[in-house]
Amino acid sequence: MVFEEAKLIFRLIKMNPISMAGLVIVVGFIILGIIAPYITPYPLDAWGLTYNVEKRFLPPSLEHPFGTDEMGRDVFSRVILGARFSLIIAVGVVGLALLIGIPIGLIAGYLGGRIATILMRITDMFLAFPPLLLAIALAATLGRGLINVIIALAISWWPWYARLIYVQVNSIKNLPYVDAARIIGLTPIKIMLRHVLPNALTPVTVQAALDMGSAILEAAGLSFLGVGVKPPTPEWGLLVSEGWTSINIAWWISLFPGLAILITVIGFNLLADAVREAMDPRLRKAIIMRRV
Amino acid sequence: MPISKEYIVKRALSLVAVVFGAAIITFVITRVVPARPELLWAGPHATMEQIEQARKILHLDDPIYVQLGYYLKDLITGNWGISWRTKSPVLTGILSALPATLELIIVAFAIAMVIGIPLGIIAALKRGTIVDHILRVVTVSGASAPVFWLALIAQLVLSNWLGLLPSAKRVDEIIVIETGFKPITGFYLLDSLLQGNIPVFIDALKHLILPALVLSLYPLCLSARMTRALTIEVLNEWHIRSALAWGLPRNVVLYKYALKNIIAPVIASLGLSFGYTLIGAFMVELVFVWPGIGMYAAMSLLSFDYPAVIGCVLFVAIFYSVINTVVDIIHAIIDPRVKL
Repeated sequence: MVFEEAKLIFRLIKMNPISMAGLVIVVGFIILGIIAPYITPYPLDAWGLTYNVEKRFLPPSLEHPFGTDEMGRDVFSRVILGARFSLIIAVGVVGLALLIGIPIGLIAGYLGGRIATILMRITDMFLAFPPLLLAIALAATLGRGLINVIIALAISWWPWYARLIYVQVNSIKNLPYVDAARIIGLTPIKIMLRHVLPNALTPVTVQAALDMGSAILEAAGLSFLGVGVKPPTPEWGLLVSEGWTSINIAWWISLFPGLAILITVIGFNLLADAVREAMDPRLRKAIIMRRV
Repeated sequence: MPISKEYIVKRALSLVAVVFGAAIITFVITRVVPARPELLWAGPHATMEQIEQARKILHLDDPIYVQLGYYLKDLITGNWGISWRTKSPVLTGILSALPATLELIIVAFAIAMVIGIPLGIIAALKRGTIVDHILRVVTVSGASAPVFWLALIAQLVLSNWLGLLPSAKRVDEIIVIETGFKPITGFYLLDSLLQGNIPVFIDALKHLILPALVLSLYPLCLSARMTRALTIEVLNEWHIRSALAWGLPRNVVLYKYALKNIIAPVIASLGLSFGYTLIGAFMVELVFVWPGIGMYAAMSLLSFDYPAVIGCVLFVAIFYSVINTVVDIIHAIIDPRVKL
């Protein structure tokens, strides 16, 4: 069922070259994130372990396609390795947010009543903050670092997933097959995990996967505001901010990591657009009819 | 459209509840999560005495519920702590920076609506054509750009290289001194107009345009995409189809019947993007040395000025909740179907 659905969505994406571009960017980014440490031309530069006085502020050339920074490090290598860190952050944030959000939404949705009221009120309290603001407060409290960035962003994100699961579970829990499970005497935990959760999971996981672009964007924002990852981690947002002080003499240090963020997030957003359109039954019909 | 008093009272009460919730979460993050809150509060270069003083200010020797009581009391009475970067009360610093931020955000949202909504309608009417595809790529890209990077590049190219627009601050000091301009409300555009001070008005506008454009890009693209989706949906509805079938002119149908149904949800979506724009202002103001709340917050973050950071977080959260409530009420006024 899920597999059929995925096949249909993929077919719809293939029909639109722009959506296809999004898919290619996302797949390319994931592959790059996995193989990045093995393909950087200057591995030591990439990890930020070198200081090369005579190579400071070199403009882009064949040897250094993105130029060098104020420590004489190869910007290209650092941007490539940055994909690895962005991938870790994206997967970490979304994964952790799902781990918190799914149980809360599931319990609130299935049990209902007072428990649901309390849990969803707490969820709403978190949603009172504009996105990223709560993460800023948390990151400022926890201090800089990769793990802290992931925790800070996940804590500000799980409420969205809790809500989504809550709505899904509410629409499923009174279906006949769940009633049947109840009647034959299954425990609530078994019903929740085996019968309700699997059917509520698809929209949330799809949404979460497509949210990875926003996670990358927000982590970059945290780094720029000085509460993100620690230098010399080659995270893209931090790379942009490191080039800021010397932007008038060496624009390439900030330009290229920013472009990397831009292209990656565009990829995720184009894909998100396409998948949303493909999963909407009314629009789906319209697309298929038009093409046939 | 008349709107019931009950609705407004209900919304106001839920606003109070939301703000209270945000205050509680902030309390938990700043006082319960860290092992020694006084170290954060006193800053990285604090002496033993200062740390001890911070312990007293935060009432850390009392039980947690007493701390919460003091915290809420301080919050309501406006005693938000002293920023050790500026050596002045946090709330004063924030409030004096508010007009600059409001001016920037209002102009940014005006740009977003004036350009974004028509773009969305065009894309919907030309659905499936090359125009629609181009607009899709442009609006998705615009909503994907890291705003701080965009600000840096725009400043570099347009101000530093081409010299088209000033690169920092709200107004040129020399012009201010020459013309004897005195801000009253803190909204420079308004103040200079009221005083008939045209040179300052033009200069303030020149300073404003670049940060406002950068900041407007996200809400602009979002409203364009929302408008497109909503327009397509509305055009498929039966009342529009029957109006077209009756032979009413397309433009009449579009502007008289279709657009009415779009405006309310578009405004609701702009309210949503307001949160992003507020945080975007942190970064844009920092880059353009725009003396608003965003720059105050960003400078505090970069110098680990914890009381100021938390003050900004609280203020922005409250501000955001208020704006959302106002947007909801406007939404209810425009759209009679909305009932709580």
